[in-house]
Amino acid sequence: MKVTTDIGGTFTDLLYMNDNGDFVFDKAHTTPPNFEEGVMNVMAQSGLDYESIEMFIHGSTVVINTLTERKGSKVGLITTKGTRDVLEIARGNRPDLYNFKYKKPEPFVERYLRLEVEERMNYKGEVLQTLNEQNVIDAIEYFRDEGVEAIAICLLHAYKNPGHEIEITRLINENWPELPVTASHEMIKEWREYERTNTTVLNAYVKPVMESYIDSLDGRLNSKSSNNNRYIMQSNGGITSFSDSKKYPLNLVESGPVAGVYGAAILGEIIGESNIISFDIGGTTAKCSLISEGNVKVSTDYYIEKNDKYAGYPIKVPVVDIVEIGNGGGSIAWIDELGSLKVGPQSAGSTPGPVSYGQGGEKATTTDANLYIGRLSDKNFDSDVDFSQVREAIDKQVAKPFGTSAEDGALGIIDIANSNMLNALKLISVRKGYNPQDFTMIAFGGGGPMHAAELARNLKIRKVVIPHAASVFSAWGMLMSDARKDNIQTYLKKFGALDFEDINKQWTDMEKASLEDFSKNNLDRFPIKFERSVDLRYEGQEHTVKMPIGNDEWNQDFIEEAKIKFHEMHEFTYSFRLENTEVEIVNMHLTTIGEIEKPALKELEANGLELEETIKENRNIYYKEHGWVKTRIYDRNLLRKGHLVEGPAVIEEKTSSTLILENQQAEIDVYGNIILTIEVR
Amino acid sequence: MAGTNPYVKEIIKDSLMSIGEEMFIALARTSMSPIIYEVLDYACGLTDAKGNLISQGNGVTSFIGMLSPMVKSVLDKFGEELKAGDIIIINDPYIGGGSHLSDVGLVMPIFHENKLVAFSANKGHWTDVGGKNPGSLTSDSNEIYQEGLQLSGVKLFDAGVLNKSVETIITDNIRLPQFSIGDMWAQVAALRTGEKRFKELCGLHSKETIEQVIADLISSSAEYSQQVIASLPKGVFEAEDYIEGDPEKGGPYKIKVKVTITEDAFICDFRGSHPQVSHPVNCSYFGLLASVRVMYLAIVQPQFNITEGLFRPLKIITDEKSILSAERPAPVSMNFEARLGGAELIWKALAPEIPEKLPAGHSLSVCSVTVAGTHPDNGEDFLIVEPSVGGWGAANEADGQSGQFCMGNGETYNVPIEVAEAKYGVLVGNYGFRKDSSGAGEYIGGRGVVRSYEILSDNQYLSATYGRHQFKPWGMKGGEKGASSYIEVHKANGNIIGPLGVTTRLPLDKGDVVELVTPSGGGYGNPSDREYGKVEKDIKNGFYTEEEAMDQFGYKQR
Repeated sequence: MKVTTDIGGTFTDLLYMNDNGDFVFDKAHTTPPNFEEGVMNVMAQSGLDYESIEMFIHGSTVVINTLTERKGSKVGLITTKGTRDVLEIARGNRPDLYNFKYKKPEPFVERYLRLEVEERMNYKGEVLQTLNEQNVIDAIEYFRDEGVEAIAICLLHAYKNPGHEIEITRLINENWPELPVTASHEMIKEWREYERTNTTVLNAYVKPVMESYIDSLDGRLNSKSSNNNRYIMQSNGGITSFSDSKKYPLNLVESGPVAGVYGAAILGEIIGESNIISFDIGGTTAKCSLISEGNVKVSTDYYIEKNDKYAGYPIKVPVVDIVEIGNGGGSIAWIDELGSLKVGPQSAGSTPGPVSYGQGGEKATTTDANLYIGRLSDKNFDSDVDFSQVREAIDKQVAKPFGTSAEDGALGIIDIANSNMLNALKLISVRKGYNPQDFTMIAFGGGGPMHAAELARNLKIRKVVIPHAASVFSAWGMLMSDARKDNIQTYLKKFGALDFEDINKQWTDMEKASLEDFSKNNLDRFPIKFERSVDLRYEGQEHTVKMPIGNDEWNQDFIEEAKIKFHEMHEFTYSFRLENTEVEIVNMHLTTIGEIEKPALKELEANGLELEETIKENRNIYYKEHGWVKTRIYDRNLLRKGHLVEGPAVIEEKTSSTLILENQQAEIDVYGNIILTIEVR
Repeated sequence: MAGTNPYVKEIIKDSLMSIGEEMFIALARTSMSPIIYEVLDYACGLTDAKGNLISQGNGVTSFIGMLSPMVKSVLDKFGEELKAGDIIIINDPYIGGGSHLSDVGLVMPIFHENKLVAFSANKGHWTDVGGKNPGSLTSDSNEIYQEGLQLSGVKLFDAGVLNKSVETIITDNIRLPQFSIGDMWAQVAALRTGEKRFKELCGLHSKETIEQVIADLISSSAEYSQQVIASLPKGVFEAEDYIEGDPEKGGPYKIKVKVTITEDAFICDFRGSHPQVSHPVNCSYFGLLASVRVMYLAIVQPQFNITEGLFRPLKIITDEKSILSAERPAPVSMNFEARLGGAELIWKALAPEIPEKLPAGHSLSVCSVTVAGTHPDNGEDFLIVEPSVGGWGAANEADGQSGQFCMGNGETYNVPIEVAEAKYGVLVGNYGFRKDSSGAGEYIGGRGVVRSYEILSDNQYLSATYGRHQFKPWGMKGGEKGASSYIEVHKANGNIIGPLGVTTRLPLDKGDVVELVTPSGGGYGNPSDREYGKVEKDIKNGFYTEEEAMDQFGYKQR
């Protein structure tokens, strides 16, 4: 049996499929700083049989928490002579344009711990100056005296020739064997020294913390189960071994959220949808991602802490392309300096939480608005809801300043929240050249099912799927994931100047290296497949288009075909093509996938109920056009294939509620997924 | 209008804001030139039917003030002749929105139901617009005619049809046309995105509602700025400084400002500044306006999207034909020197009054560098055109920022060493903080940066304008001045050229090393008040020796 555990901010979730083919879900409190405690607790609580675990898949926010809370290790950095300040100069940008007291992100390594060594490569990877080994020895001694806990190495052009980084690593291993070392080429083979240095430094920064965390978790698991097929979810949507995650913990930076996107792709495959917009609303954020023709997009354009006023820190590891905005159920409504209504990114979180939680929250949130106008039921809240408090908060904070009723104020909050989310959804679709009408939305998380219908209508999406057990869909995605590695290599060459022999060799070398990596990490027991793509651009451009390219050998015919495809893709994405401009390859991207058998979805047994018998209640819900209207509320647990719910209606389960608007209808499929058709005319 | 749900207006505002951003993203992603896609030296926005700014996305600060005067000049020139599908191209610095010829603007009227409802506009720095120098940045022109092709507002598209003659004239008059023409198309695509989105919005809501929202946006931001002005210290505040010219040709040129703040007005009077000169450090009135607006925003500090209304209390007064409001045919290629110099006077005058908003003097200069030559590996011509990062001044509660682009830039990115070495025929030997002094103080000024280029092929040329070479960034409240900029060329034969602040088409050959050193920022407060622990850290971080620390901060090891 496969078991997943996922550590979130508040809860640690557990999901597995039992012998009857039913998914079993449980949760326990997250237990910082000893996170493994929560994992063991939730397993004990669920009563699962440890010896029946064949595969253990883990998701964790330990890496991102260590970074954002600045609880990592003291890192020493080794750089090429003349470049120790690259990490602090960063890119020199000042996104908060009209703030003359802007503060740049502080580097994770202070200047006195950034040392230079004599050595130099050029952009072709040729050695201009050999490595001065004495410099390295001196650096090691200095770091030892300073109490450094991890070393990062990033040299110029190491993406092209890692020779000197390998030498330095060897010298450190010889002279200070117990110290964790990260060299840039092990993680990324892309150009741009600042981004690469920062990535390497952050990996070194979280490495000791992650090592000790994984070791204790491993130890605790060993005491319960003899099976050590233990894996961890990475940011690229695939899993890897525990031992690999200790070496390159930064690959786990978005461990949790990407599982939902991957789950959306898998569910799409099962129900025959290959163009998908995955949409996940949690307590504090909404996340969306676009899957085109079944492909989850993975890139290395990830940042932490970046926003429109702050440069943040680039992390160039493979991460599923997700747009995340500060809009979730707990997002707070407020009025800005100009008197405009805003929602988020501040969130009431889980404590104190929305006003309706009754834990002392005083600020009106999206959840409060949904509850107040009847879209959510107070019966699904953990404690009794004080409606007068909710009304007062909405009234005072929103409705009064705009001179409207509290009902309209609540709808205003929802409209603004939807507008924010709509912008995020447009960012991944229309702004990239995709037509949302060609896509199916898969909406999940606690809030996704509540907002999906309205957003889909605005985007002219025709079909929305609310998966069975929508609130734990991410954990389900993890259960379904494959082993995966993304290797990206900068390989700057014009198409006209390509040496086919060289690039074919490069591909096979990358495949060979990846296979070795898989076998080292005990991932080679799964059937392995390769997927190649390239980042291409017109000569002179900077930004590239990622294009799947197939695994055939490169020759003249091959690139002629690739060119045609590139012109099409470029025009699709950017609205023009430059037929006469040379095409240039920038990066080669090899994805290696170890396919893991997936538990089959179980069909729900018919229960013979008439649709009428699945109605829980008739509740008043407030609508913009019609005011308060008695609306049918259905019990999701009773709905089966053959039931057809006409909007307006709400389908409820304990942890999420699906809103269906006028002129929309919902069918249930054999697996219990809700299939929402948006415009029924 | 009555009866429209107030929250609908909020949604429309939101949509308007996102249009500016979307245009911005579209342009960056389709551009052909590093100065646009890396340095983000461009801006996109929407104005109302009268040319008032309502939504924008910009990467460099200065362009914020250039879109609306540009649109207004198009309105003045074409008025009723504007048709749907028209796109007007304009780079004339002396009429609306001008900085220098390299910044090329495109303006597109947006029609809905046959009525002009808005404009979509953008402006980007082209790699080359012709003229006497590669890169079109000339530090020795004495008339604008030497600086490139002038476009005073001509129809590039007439009712949606490309005017091929105009395209040909442009292509024939610029170097590396594939880049600039590529950028032109990127700009066109962004304009059309703006038009499309605006029209979609018109399809969802009534024209009256949208017009009302736009009017509200402008009037509410005007009210906001009035409130901020009312909260500022009242009085008359003065400052003087110099624009550094080329010592071989003249200068430095004195400039001055008198800022008068009343209950409802913010008046910047630049009268008495030096007359215009036949050296390209002049700026036009519209150039000055753009930079003064940046400075004004740094004081008003709105946390929301910027619209025309914010600028209502702002008044600018200049002499005719001054170095800060030059007229044709004065050269303006290096206009940012006067533009930023003029605007920074306001900073200098007000910083002691509002230290919670403004730090001590910063690098100020764009520190622009142009290197042209042939790549030694592929024999292709290359052209580096880049601004440089420098040190910012210390503030009332923090040290200055090190290695950051000047006030005229913003979301501007440096060119990575690895990218530069692959594309250009140079090797970057050093890219790090300068080790000599930056402005000492209780809080110290941010560090300038040394960037050195080893030249890898013969017959390359360097042009550069490094301001704050003769006059250091100013300190404040007892803080010391920062450090001045300089350029040195270490010839392969051992000779050293420089230190220089300005150089034009300086020949470089294989093995020469160009050292580019940007200014360090001014200090804040008395150096002897600096916390002991901080000085200790400065020493440990290699910024001062113990002796220097003793000299400057009275440091004694405990």
